[in-house]
Amino acid sequence: MSSDKKITKEDTWKPAELRKHIREGGHVENNVRRRDDSERRQRGGESVERTRRDPEKETRREKDKLRERRDKEEIDKYADRRKEGSRDRRSERDRKEETRRDKVVDGKTYDEDKERHRDKEDRDKRREEREERKEKERRRHEEGGEGETERREKQDREKRDRHRERDKDEDKRNDRERRERKHVEVKEDGENRDEQRRRREERERRHKERGNHDEKRKHDSRSREHRDVKEVVEEVRGHGGDRERTERDKNKERKHREDEEPERNHRRDPTSSRKSDKASDKSHDAKTEDKAAVRDLRATAEPAAKDEDLADYEDDFEDYEEDFEELDESPDEEEEEEKEGSEVLEEKEELTAERRKEIEAIQRAMAEENQRVQSREISSTEEERPRWSRGSEKTPSVDSQRGKFIDFVAAKQREVSKKVASKQKKRSTELLRLIDLDFSTTASLLDLPPVNEYDMYIRTFGTANTKQAYVQCNEDNVDRDIQTEETEVCEKWTQHPPEHNGACGDPNLSREAQDKSEMSFDSRRLTAFLRSASQVMVVLLEEHRADRKSLEKMKSPTDSTSFSDGSLLLNTKLPFLYGRSVSLLHFSPAQKHTVMSVHRPTETPSAVRLDSCSIICIWNIWEPSSPQRVLIYESEVQCCCFSPGKAVLVFAGTSVGSVLLWDLRENTEDHYSLKIGEEEWTFRQPTFSTDAVMSGSGHFSSVTSVEVVPSSSSSDVPLLASEEESSGLSFQLASLDEVGVLNFWVVLELPKANEAGSPTDLGLRPGGKVKLLHSSVLLTAERESPRDAAKTGPLQTLNLKFLPTDSNHFFIGTNMGLVNHETSHGLKVPPRFYRFQEAGVQPVDVTSIHFSPFRKHLFLVGCGDGSIRLHAVSQQHPVSEWRNSTSGEPVISLQWNQTRPSVFCVLDGASNLHIWDLLRNDTQPVVTEKLHSDRVTAMSVFGDSGQQHTYSGVALAHESGKIEMQYFTRSLTVSSSEEEEKLESLVTEAF
Amino acid sequence: MEGSDTYLIRPNHQYKFKPAIVKECIREIVRERLSGMRYDPEEVPELSRSLADCIKDKVKNAGFDRYKLVVQVVIGEQRGQGVKMSSRCLWDADTDNYAEDVFINDSLFCVAAVFGSYYY
Repeated sequence: MSSDKKITKEDTWKPAELRKHIREGGHVENNVRRRDDSERRQRGGESVERTRRDPEKETRREKDKLRERRDKEEIDKYADRRKEGSRDRRSERDRKEETRRDKVVDGKTYDEDKERHRDKEDRDKRREEREERKEKERRRHEEGGEGETERREKQDREKRDRHRERDKDEDKRNDRERRERKHVEVKEDGENRDEQRRRREERERRHKERGNHDEKRKHDSRSREHRDVKEVVEEVRGHGGDRERTERDKNKERKHREDEEPERNHRRDPTSSRKSDKASDKSHDAKTEDKAAVRDLRATAEPAAKDEDLADYEDDFEDYEEDFEELDESPDEEEEEEKEGSEVLEEKEELTAERRKEIEAIQRAMAEENQRVQSREISSTEEERPRWSRGSEKTPSVDSQRGKFIDFVAAKQREVSKKVASKQKKRSTELLRLIDLDFSTTASLLDLPPVNEYDMYIRTFGTANTKQAYVQCNEDNVDRDIQTEETEVCEKWTQHPPEHNGACGDPNLSREAQDKSEMSFDSRRLTAFLRSASQVMVVLLEEHRADRKSLEKMKSPTDSTSFSDGSLLLNTKLPFLYGRSVSLLHFSPAQKHTVMSVHRPTETPSAVRLDSCSIICIWNIWEPSSPQRVLIYESEVQCCCFSPGKAVLVFAGTSVGSVLLWDLRENTEDHYSLKIGEEEWTFRQPTFSTDAVMSGSGHFSSVTSVEVVPSSSSSDVPLLASEEESSGLSFQLASLDEVGVLNFWVVLELPKANEAGSPTDLGLRPGGKVKLLHSSVLLTAERESPRDAAKTGPLQTLNLKFLPTDSNHFFIGTNMGLVNHETSHGLKVPPRFYRFQEAGVQPVDVTSIHFSPFRKHLFLVGCGDGSIRLHAVSQQHPVSEWRNSTSGEPVISLQWNQTRPSVFCVLDGASNLHIWDLLRNDTQPVVTEKLHSDRVTAMSVFGDSGQQHTYSGVALAHESGKIEMQYFTRSLTVSSSEEEEKLESLVTEAF
Repeated sequence: MEGSDTYLIRPNHQYKFKPAIVKECIREIVRERLSGMRYDPEEVPELSRSLADCIKDKVKNAGFDRYKLVVQVVIGEQRGQGVKMSSRCLWDADTDNYAEDVFINDSLFCVAAVFGSYYY
């Protein structure tokens, strides 16, 4: 109704004025807004009234209930309540207002005050004011939820002043009264009265509609709309319900009674309207302060300013009233809300269904009205703007005006969307019956596992196209996932000292090697062939060279020595032989060109660290430039011998009591080799040693002699040797130490060498194939008579010889000048002793015993006192005895010539070489050579009566280490038939 | 009104949402647009939006009548972290379906999912 009026007014505005007003209105608006902001800040929230009310609720709850009982005496209590309200609101209100409020303690004074103002103002102004108020009211209707508070304030006030105000403003305050009545209904119990009021209200409305004398252009249409209200009840119900709901905002309790369609648009409405309402409320508050300014502005802006000023003035007062009323009323409101919210029984009594229906009807009607207005506004967008600005101009509360506009649009939209929604809803309800919706499947869109640190590292820092491999040694750490592959296990062995490459290896490898060697049988034959062939070639080359070079050299010694037909020097100028003297020279019995020389350990230090070792060199006399084999042993070698037959084994006895064995067939690479200067020499350790191995059965004192026990079956040694060669080694070895212990050993060749060494034969060198087995032991230190012992001291056994034709008999030279004759098994055979010509024993060492290679029952004995005896095996006494042939010098070595049966050589301690030829002279040597320039330490006779080329000679080892091979002249080499007869005659002569 | 309404509650087979085809569409577009791309936080929002639009247009042209399409494109930086994405839909499993494709390169991963919901 009032809005209608406004529209008409707006139509009369001119564009220029409007523009101006818009500007000013904006200004005012700004002011108002600023205030709003400050106030809002002060109140600290949007839901101002609610927060304000909450504390009040608690404080007043008790009183409210009391008051309900005493409804009639409301006025008195209002005063009290007002006080409370003022107390509560003091912080929220302006100072001025507070003072006023203080002044107006109770309703009467307030009324008087208002009355006074009223009187003063003139009718026109009042009308303006009323219009203004009406508009405000209407606005409040439109505004949802909390706008109600203000509305109620007014209602309350009107209730009090009804008798006065109704007369004046009956027709113009329909809406307010309507609400008022509602309120009153809530307050009062009497149903009759409610009905009466309802009727009255109806009447009033009608009257108003009819009697609206104002020049409202759209009065008719509006009234028509009013009439329509009842026709479209169904539609409106929803609106009304919504409205009610928004008014009660959070009263859930009521919701069930209200419409079933909660629409968001509707819900939005109250918030915006609430805002605008607040704004208007505040603007009213602000009016008192800003009134002057506003008035000024208006005065300049509008010709009709005066009227509006007055209206504003009136309005201000109204506002004040409202404020106070609000104070009064708010408790009631709260009471109501409380009642509604807390579902008390009292509330139910009051809010009977009937009344509620009525209220709803009224509200519906109001909402309908609002909607009409709104739709009209939207349709006439041209008018909208002017009206808008006008409204803002007309009333200082611009916010509320704007809010109104938004409400309309929103409501329209709401309606449209509601329509659509209902359609959709219908559609959906129909469809949902046909369709099953399910929620069962969960689709995994992406499952990206986290990359572990290592991959991340490689991705960021690693090189492209490379792959990193793990290596781990800690195989105990099985937890880690980067464990390496399973460890391969294979057996390996090693043995100290690691002198050759055979000192380590594994069983599998050796087996493979075995297979390989079997497969490459031809190559093995080839190497064997090459070895022998190369030896021949070397010998030939050596001979050739020697022939060429030393023809002249050989001549000169021949001149110097009467017996010599030439000489040959073995090349002993080797670094490892430097400074060593030769203690023994020994020729192989079978291979007559093979000789070994035993070099003593040297005291003078040399570059080669073999000083403490004895060195045995194996020479081929046709190849004198270098030794064929070099054998070493740690202690001094006292005696040595070759194996029978082919010279493949070397035996030696040492001063520490060990018996040694070297197998010369072993490969050089199995032995320790030392590079000295340009050449590389291989030093062979013994293949077998009894050192500390056979502690129970070995020797405990220095070994004086080792001898091969001749094979008893055959007398033909070379033949035997060849047989042995083919069938494998099988013979016995005897070793004698100086206390008379005679050990017999069986020389045994193993079928297969063990690179790992033998676990049982610790004396066997790894890879060695030949070993000694201890077979028996004899104690040979037998004296002629026990009493000699005291006279001559301990008996020493110095030499051992076996009877070449019978290995059962052996002969031991002692330090008593006697040679004991013993047998290894069987009965003792006479003679037990071979003694000097004259009876008795002398403490004389037997230094040398040598059997004749031609007459094997004859042997020569050389003694320490220089005497030489020729014995026959069968006789105790010598065949012949030569004393003083060496002029008292001890005989060092004594040997038969290998080619002439009646010739023998004797080396004495004074380095004289005596050569006897029994055929020519059986009393003294035929040649006595004094070799004093370089003392001779060892001598050995060699010779071969072979088919092609008979030679013989003597090898002389000098103190300097030089080894000289002197070839005998032809007279001393070639035998004649008379010689053996001569020997026979000597034997027969003697007995 | 209610009696007279008829609804086509099942699409024709030829118009049915076929994940394989849609997946191929997605794959094509994503491969084309993202291969060799580095993750750049500045441009990824725009990129994902345009990708989604692109995919939507393409799938629309694939002729799935009466289908409402929802295209979701997620692009994230690939730094070795674990990512898990899953979806759950309240829909009519007979008609509605979805297709998704994942693109991963050194620098980023992209998940594009198209949900087709049949409009009855």
